[in-house]
Amino acid sequence: MDMEGLLRKLTEEDGVSGYEKKVAGIAAGAFSPYVDDTRTDNLGNLIFLKKGQGNSPPRLLICAHMDEIGLIVTKVEENGFLRFTSLGGFDARTLPGQAVNIYGRDKVPGIIGFKLPPLYTEQEKGQGVKMEDLFLDTALTPEVVRETIAVGSVAAIERKYLTLQHNSRAGKAFDDRAGIVALWQCARELHKIRHEADLYLVATVQEEVGTRGAVVSTFGISPDLGIAVDVCHGDFPGALEQETSPLTKGPVVTSGPNIHPFIAEKLLHVAAEYHLPYQRDVSPGPTGTDARAIQITMEGVPTGLLSIPLRYMHTSVELVDLEDIKVAGLLLARFVAAVDRAFVEGLVCL
Amino acid sequence: MKELIQKLCASFGPAGREGQIRAVIAAEIEKLKEEYFVDTLGNLVVRKGPAGGKKILVAAHMDEIGLMVTYIEENGYLRFTNLGGIMQQTLPGTRVFFENGTVGVIGQEKNKETREPGLSKYYLDIGAENRETALAKVKIGDAAVYLAPLHQEGKRLTAKSLDNRVGCAVLLETLSRLSAATLPGEVFFVFTVQEEVGLRGAQTIAYRTKPHYGLAVDVTRVGDTPEPEFKTNVSLGKGPTVKVMDSAVICHPKVTNLMMDVAEKNNIPYQPEVLERGGTDAGAIHLSRDGIPTGALSIPCRYIHTPAEMVDLDDVENGIALLQELLKCEQW
Repeated sequence: MDMEGLLRKLTEEDGVSGYEKKVAGIAAGAFSPYVDDTRTDNLGNLIFLKKGQGNSPPRLLICAHMDEIGLIVTKVEENGFLRFTSLGGFDARTLPGQAVNIYGRDKVPGIIGFKLPPLYTEQEKGQGVKMEDLFLDTALTPEVVRETIAVGSVAAIERKYLTLQHNSRAGKAFDDRAGIVALWQCARELHKIRHEADLYLVATVQEEVGTRGAVVSTFGISPDLGIAVDVCHGDFPGALEQETSPLTKGPVVTSGPNIHPFIAEKLLHVAAEYHLPYQRDVSPGPTGTDARAIQITMEGVPTGLLSIPLRYMHTSVELVDLEDIKVAGLLLARFVAAVDRAFVEGLVCL
Repeated sequence: MKELIQKLCASFGPAGREGQIRAVIAAEIEKLKEEYFVDTLGNLVVRKGPAGGKKILVAAHMDEIGLMVTYIEENGYLRFTNLGGIMQQTLPGTRVFFENGTVGVIGQEKNKETREPGLSKYYLDIGAENRETALAKVKIGDAAVYLAPLHQEGKRLTAKSLDNRVGCAVLLETLSRLSAATLPGEVFFVFTVQEEVGLRGAQTIAYRTKPHYGLAVDVTRVGDTPEPEFKTNVSLGKGPTVKVMDSAVICHPKVTNLMMDVAEKNNIPYQPEVLERGGTDAGAIHLSRDGIPTGALSIPCRYIHTPAEMVDLDDVENGIALLQELLKCEQW
């Protein structure tokens, strides 16, 4: 499978937070030729080990989350319409009119229904869209709905992978399956490069509801160093330049209190050495990524963050540049190859 | 059952000050001839069943929401902050009591705004004329809880702190009905501290006991009242709930499926639950160490975090039945 084939397959599959099994299955198949071991932990994190050649190999963790934001049924109305809340951070404005797959006893197609402006009451005018006013419509009879779907059934946005101009691709769940693809690219590249470190590549679960997969997988692996690979806001009209990173200019190396300065520095150094395009940004607090969990696991883990620029985050038209993903993978591979025992020991004596 | 719940609800035990409620629970456990220990943060732990098999942690928090004194004014009024999720609109006119028995009444400053004014606009009146007489009874850092004794109306009970003394009652009653011989593995029944301020007791006891599975027993919101805040099918009297998700956990499908299977096999009514706001000890347990598959069983409860919480006795009985069958089952 090529990189684009994997991205398409991963992003057309459904895997909302807590229900990532099918996505894990695709990832397990794709990574298996390039890794030495695959296991799944108690919460469903998918953990690949790529052994290093060092005598006393440092333990590196690089993770990207495989869950996507989704919906969960909170109430089955008398007439068969379904009320829901979100698993992760959906903006209610992006939901009306979307198609969904609802996972009850069977997979049921549905759409997100809503009241149209001509039917608004005076009070409702100018109020905006509220999640509590939306509902799922399966067009099934109430009896069939009750047999098939229950409170707690989850739903994922249905969206086919879109091929736009040049290297631009769009769809749902690119946050953060683009990151999974970067990890895969890294594994593939490392197949050709000697590296000392034992590398744990983790496809984490439940990032969108609070980096929960990273909390437990980092504990289980207890690495010497951890890097989260996620997406960051791309550029678009009306966005502030300092808050976004343009697409096609390479992955973004973050600095800030969540990040060990030597890791950021090493990523930048490696990118320059191999003439890989990169960008920088600064995050003032705990980042909204798995990096926040990695850093404070056990006695503390020196942490880095590499992000792929993406427009329209948490919508069904997340847009990325294929080359940015590829470069992220190559940069990670070169970084891993450049890390030895001395480097990780140097991280704990600032 | 009612008497046990009544006794538990009458006890004082805000988050971080669980001494009295812990003593009441310990006395019940001694009556059952079970052994227990208290951990570093004050969680009370009863171990039952044969070692060697799968270990299950069952947690019900014994703490309740409350108030903590922050300042004593010249004229003897007390200012306070919240311990857990206090609902301001229930405060004026509510009585509270301190660990030493001192009773106070909550008053509110003049408020012309329609929105909630914030806790700084409320005060506590313990009948003291000045700071000195107030200090004879209460000092800064003392905590108080609602004074709201239990009352029964038909099958329904109302009282303060049914969240989560009803969960404690479910654990105690399950302990008394289960014989160790029927348990396939070791069960840790834990009465946790400081749930209301962030699932803190559950975090440390999960780390210490290293269970294979976790289960929280707590209360949950209902949608069967006029214009409820959240849209949910959960109703009083239709059985305990099997939690699928809340703000702090997505329950492990293995545990929720097992709970639903056990309920169906034993003809115990249950309701699936998605709680949009709020969390339980399951949130802390499942993130312990390298992850613990965890679920939660809840008793539907109206008016949560007010002085008049309400549960249905049938739900309590069915909750006990479900917990009992679940712990006996071999499929963990």
